Amino acid sequence: MSKQRKISLTEEELVLSLRNREKIAVEALYDMYSASLFGVISRIITDTAIAEDVLQETFVKIWHSFSSYSSDKGRLFTWMVNIARNLAIDKVRSKDFKNQNKNQELENNVTFIDEQRNTIYKPELLGIRDLVSTLKPEQKSILDLVYFKGYTHVEAAEELGIPLGTIKTRLRMAIQQLRKHFN
Amino acid sequence: MEDIKAYIESGILELYVLGDLSPEERLQVETMASEYPAIMAEITEIETSMEFYAAEHAIEPSEALRNKVLNSLLINLGDDTIFTKPRKHTDEEQFEDDDHNVAQLHTGKSTNFYKYAFAACLALLVVSTFALVNLYNQLQDSNSQLTAVLQQKQQFANRVNLMDRELDMYRDPSIKVLKLEGMPKTPSSAMTVAWNPANKKVMVDMKSMKLPKYDKQHQYQLWALVAGKPVDLGVFDTANPGDDTALIKEMKPIASAEAFAVTLEPRGGSINPTMDEMVVIGKL
Repeated sequence: MSKQRKISLTEEELVLSLRNREKIAVEALYDMYSASLFGVISRIITDTAIAEDVLQETFVKIWHSFSSYSSDKGRLFTWMVNIARNLAIDKVRSKDFKNQNKNQELENNVTFIDEQRNTIYKPELLGIRDLVSTLKPEQKSILDLVYFKGYTHVEAAEELGIPLGTIKTRLRMAIQQLRKHFN
Repeated sequence: MEDIKAYIESGILELYVLGDLSPEERLQVETMASEYPAIMAEITEIETSMEFYAAEHAIEPSEALRNKVLNSLLINLGDDTIFTKPRKHTDEEQFEDDDHNVAQLHTGKSTNFYKYAFAACLALLVVSTFALVNLYNQLQDSNSQLTAVLQQKQQFANRVNLMDRELDMYRDPSIKVLKLEGMPKTPSSAMTVAWNPANKKVMVDMKSMKLPKYDKQHQYQLWALVAGKPVDLGVFDTANPGDDTALIKEMKPIASAEAFAVTLEPRGGSINPTMDEMVVIGKL
């Protein structure tokens, strides 16, 4: 899939070189995370061109506000995913976007995107394909609503017509399943 | 230790990683994490799982985007290395400078534009005022010409009407045209009287009238002889040359007459004719 050489660093190395504003940090950052971040953005914005605009905005914001990131608070990707998700949601809620696009249902989106574009399977993630089946559908739908679509668990409860406590339990169970799977 | 386990199992750490907590709750979780390594480890575990989950759903953006993004970041990187001030400030100044330059250039251009536009408007105003005055004068000329033509037309119409009436006088078979001839004292005098016995109308033709000149105290008077007695038919003056309106003068009506005669009388007319001053007479 990838013809060009991709730069990969450990998270510690990456954070350090980003702090030092090194050129290689920018390339590594893009190569390591662009696909994952784009996957999140694309689940909120189906229009590829707009999604790519948002991805670019995301990297610009990451780069400019990097001084506000602290590794004490958590992993780099968690911080970046929050930026990407918020920018994407802001875009979807903006006036001009609303005028040109209507939101589609989450499940439709996922199918649509997966049909439209090839999902990347990294070598270290081999065997993960059957992950989807390890998550029960109700766990996956809640996890995707909150993680990919930026719903609060309260909104997700309303959307799915499920009590708040159940939502929290299912979210935790889903992530437990994932953890089991990745370990 | 029990508390920590309960805290972990409450599910708040999952919500923290998913970005679904209020700022206060986030701060609380971060405080807990910095205090208890077990909580920090749990958070890292959850984060790693979600990172894998995201990677599993990764979608490769188009290849062109890589250069676009890198360029937009590296342009700023160049600025960062050139300027020695803190990065954030440098960026802001850089943007501000750009804006300032653009704004200046813009205002300069627009001022020029308005200057020219104003000059053009002024020139247009002068030209159009001039054209308007010209047109107004022409309109006045045309109007006065039109009035003159209308007057002429009216005159012609009047004249045609008069001539029609004059012609009718000769055409109408019921009208009797009588030539009055001069007396021995005034042999060259002559005039024409038209009389319609049907409607009793009496008219004198001013145009063919040839009567001696008289002064302003006197006036000609037309008489009809009815059963040997003179009947007053009114006074008249000889026509002034060029006076179109009085080509035919209608006199007082009379039902029957044997003869018509004209005498010169004091202005205003007399009750009885002064026979000495008779100038013309015509018998039927």
